[in-house]
Amino acid sequence: MLQITNLKKGFQLRGEIILPVVGIDEFVLEKSKMVAIHGASGSGKTTFLNLIAGLLLPDEGELHLDGIALHELSESKRDYLRAASIGYIFQSFHLLQSCSALENLLIAMSFGGQVNQAKAKEMLDRVGLKDRMSHKPGDMSVGQQQRVALARALINQPSLLLADEPTGNLDAQNTENSLALIKELCASSGASMIIVSHDPNVIHAFDNQFDWGDLNQVTETGSCI
Amino acid sequence: MYMIRPGLSIALFLALRGVRKHAFSSFLAIFTIAMAAGLFLSTWKINDETRRAFNHSSSGFDAVLGARGSKLQIILNSLFHVEASPGNLPWEQYEIIKKTKGVKEAYPIAVGDNYLGYRLVGTEPDLLLKHEWKPGHHYKTEAGGRIFTPLAKEAVVGSFVARKIGLQVGDQFHPYHGLNFKEENKHRDIYVVVGILEATGTPADRVIWVPIKGIQFMDGHDQSMSHSLSAVLLSLKGAAGFSLDMKYNKQGNVATMAWPVASTLSSFFDKFSWFQKVLELVAGMIAIVGSLIIVLTLRSSMNERKREFAILRCLGASRQIVSSVMVLQSLILACCGAFSGFLFQYIIHFLASYIIRENTGVLMHDFSIDIMGAYVFGTVLLIGLAGGVLPARQVYKAELSENLKQTT
Repeated sequence: MLQITNLKKGFQLRGEIILPVVGIDEFVLEKSKMVAIHGASGSGKTTFLNLIAGLLLPDEGELHLDGIALHELSESKRDYLRAASIGYIFQSFHLLQSCSALENLLIAMSFGGQVNQAKAKEMLDRVGLKDRMSHKPGDMSVGQQQRVALARALINQPSLLLADEPTGNLDAQNTENSLALIKELCASSGASMIIVSHDPNVIHAFDNQFDWGDLNQVTETGSCI
Repeated sequence: MYMIRPGLSIALFLALRGVRKHAFSSFLAIFTIAMAAGLFLSTWKINDETRRAFNHSSSGFDAVLGARGSKLQIILNSLFHVEASPGNLPWEQYEIIKKTKGVKEAYPIAVGDNYLGYRLVGTEPDLLLKHEWKPGHHYKTEAGGRIFTPLAKEAVVGSFVARKIGLQVGDQFHPYHGLNFKEENKHRDIYVVVGILEATGTPADRVIWVPIKGIQFMDGHDQSMSHSLSAVLLSLKGAAGFSLDMKYNKQGNVATMAWPVASTLSSFFDKFSWFQKVLELVAGMIAIVGSLIIVLTLRSSMNERKREFAILRCLGASRQIVSSVMVLQSLILACCGAFSGFLFQYIIHFLASYIIRENTGVLMHDFSIDIMGAYVFGTVLLIGLAGGVLPARQVYKAELSENLKQTT
């Protein structure tokens, strides 16, 4: 379960000027639940996900994942927690270009502490890439790359999956297929998921929806409500 | 792919990928380091090995008595059969030194003729029969041969000469006057080959041995030659060298006692020490260039790899892991450079050994890696480490959020 209380994050612009980006009073995500957050581009959704992933530290507030206080962990512990318990899918997939699909999964597994080649192959098989395991991202279609990214995000059986505009580079048909696959894999692994998107079609595919503007207490001008 | 394991091995995997991806600049860095390591090791090793080989190639003699002149010239002419003789000694000097207390062995030699450029060395048969050119080793002829008799026009050919010009037992030849071959200087005397010496790896292999009387009474030689010789090769007992040095070099003015052989040769090599220093300096400069190429290789790939490192951090890689990729990549280049350096040294050593053997008959030891090799290897690794530390530090300090921005 993810529990967020009084979370604040801003960025220093010039000198002493701080631009507030995230301000959330309370946010709770139950185990195995999937939520979709809708909001305009550049409004702080990615920063919110990066805070949950431990890639950024909050200025204020608390984040608890499965009972662990993320905001109190050292950087190395956050790194390990991210590898073992959090899967992350990006809009541009962020695959390692010099590595094959299988190697991308194995590398992710290595940071989680256990490398199992059979399991990685099985995962690629599940996302329909049995015949593309040794292909590098550059030799794959956009849809296939997205499936590698999904397989990589879920290979360590995380308790939480973060998806940042995961279908932003896909056409309508691929978006539909991809969302179905993400939901299916999350459901079967029991992982919770937060998906953020500016695309209403993506948001409507989920029962639990949030509007970023309602969730985030920071206005566009940069001041808290 | 199978080396992907948790911990440092993942860093090693990514470092190897980095080397492969930037194959050309990696090759350039490896080649430059190999040049530096190979040049330095070759310079040091060849100098060391040449000194050792020359010191062990004095054919079992402790000193040489020659005409008044340079000790080094006497040694080079009499023991290594290179350079010209500084002059002749009267035969009486041989008779005197032979009977001097402390002299274990004394063999007269006379030079001044050649066959097809290979020196004829006139001496007593006992030098080839009784003298030990190395403790426990006498000269031996190959099967079917024998040592010449003192008054006959017979020759025993060194193994190197026999191989080079194809002389065999029973062959006849006309000697040529002078130390260098000139067709018009042909003597009328005819010598018969009666033996081929087994190889010794010393300058004895590069000459044709004949009776000393043959040189002294060679057709066309000045009559004065019949009562003179070029030098006397000496084996000494106890501290006789000191007293002979005093007698001939400090008090006398008739002859020069070239003793001790090793330190005289050492002074010869010292004359070339500046050359070694220049080569070492060049090797050092090449090493610096190699190190800079490593830094440039890593830095040029840095922007591209920032994306890769940011992705790795998102997947859970620690700062230590991603920065160690840089250090490992640098160390891989340095290691490959060091090993290639040993290969480079081996080639130079092989060529140098061949040239020295062809020109002097001195046999150098086979290639081996010694403590200096270990020092150079360690130094090259330190250079690699130094080359990788700066880029690694940059990667370590990079803010993930900044690099993530660049990836989208």
